[in-house]
Amino acid sequence: MAPTDNELMEDVRDGRVEKLAVLFERYQTMLYNFFLRLTGNRAASEDLVQEVFIRILKYRSGYLSESRFNVWLFQIARNAHIDYLRKQKPALPLDEKHAETPGREPLPEAAYEADREAELVRRALDRLPVNKREILVLFRFQNLKLREIAELTGVQVGTVKAQVHRALKDLSRVYLELQRGDLS
Amino acid sequence: MTCEKIQEKYADYLTGDLDEAGRAEVQAHILGCQACREDLENLTVVWAKLGVLPEEQPGGAVRARFYALLEDEKRKAAAAAVPQARSRLADWLTFRRPAFAASFSVLLLLLGLGAGWFLSAGRPGRESYAALSREVQDMRQQVALSLLNDPSASERIQGVGYTAEVKDPSDTTLAALFKAVDADPNPNVRLAAVDALYLFRDRPGVRQNLVRSLSVQSYPLVQVALIDFLVEVREARAVEALKKLIEAGELTPDVKKRAEQGLRQIAL
Repeated sequence: MAPTDNELMEDVRDGRVEKLAVLFERYQTMLYNFFLRLTGNRAASEDLVQEVFIRILKYRSGYLSESRFNVWLFQIARNAHIDYLRKQKPALPLDEKHAETPGREPLPEAAYEADREAELVRRALDRLPVNKREILVLFRFQNLKLREIAELTGVQVGTVKAQVHRALKDLSRVYLELQRGDLS
Repeated sequence: MTCEKIQEKYADYLTGDLDEAGRAEVQAHILGCQACREDLENLTVVWAKLGVLPEEQPGGAVRARFYALLEDEKRKAAAAAVPQARSRLADWLTFRRPAFAASFSVLLLLLGLGAGWFLSAGRPGRESYAALSREVQDMRQQVALSLLNDPSASERIQGVGYTAEVKDPSDTTLAALFKAVDADPNPNVRLAAVDALYLFRDRPGVRQNLVRSLSVQSYPLVQVALIDFLVEVREARAVEALKKLIEAGELTPDVKKRAEQGLRQIAL
């Protein structure tokens, strides 16, 4: 049977760093898409994936056996993203930042598939404030359970449920506005 | 049940994690509450629409960079293990009794003099260091060549990563990278090989081979990586190859656009 994420990370913590390669292969695409949906920038997302693995190596001795690896991993990923945002706009506190990911790169594959709907959803997602976008990305795309997001963000499960609801409502509103052409 | 309580169930409702009783409660509520019914309908639609966003694959460079990081970490760990062994030896040599320490110092002095005489009579240290360095480089290349023939794509990417650490790769190593760019079945390996070759862009043959490779590539991201490479080094021989590619009319619109832009950039 394949080793679990937790077993692999324990091995990495205990000095067998080569086991991190297996975790990298399991998570690199998921992490890349997490960052891509938050930043809209492919080069920055690739850098952030690398940054996560640098931090895993740096902080590996603090990994606890009872941790859930994916929650620990996304905690590191969120911190790396927060640091990235700070470097982008040092003057703004994080909660005032609205998404409006400037200059999202055209995504070649999506472009020649001419998937207008996907483009609209992406633009709508981009227009959400970063905290709402993050909660949706974690819940919808990273397959994190509500209790895992609660653990990750340090709030009650009920709060996460309410946050998901509000974020989806906002996304729905922005999507409809974009579809009607109210927003450019 | 209040609207607020029902709305708390929406997240689980959308993922299908709500139990039978919970679903029944939601459905009973929305039958009698138009606002919640419309709310849930909108959320269901937008939830489904989020599913149309495609998952993207990161570029091959991410993998190459990761494996370089891992190798670096392994080297650091190995280097850290040596001082530990040394410190154990040092503990053993630390005598508390002065008479013991003095006699041991004499022994060390004699050993030092002997070693000095031996080294001055033998090969100079710098040469031996250069030989060792060459040996390490050769070993890296051998590992890289062996990994590049592995059936697993991630092993081959690791092989590409090893070549990037070789200061002056042999023609055989470069040929293995050209082969990876042209014919590796996995596009991520091809992309990583293009990135690695950028490090050796001034070696004879590298640019010509990548110009030639343009005509055999069909995967758009690799085509774009090659164009980026050739534009970056302002390779004049790429002009003809790019024109032919555009004229052949088989490029995707994005690659065609990049090729046309590349032509203009090389001409600058």
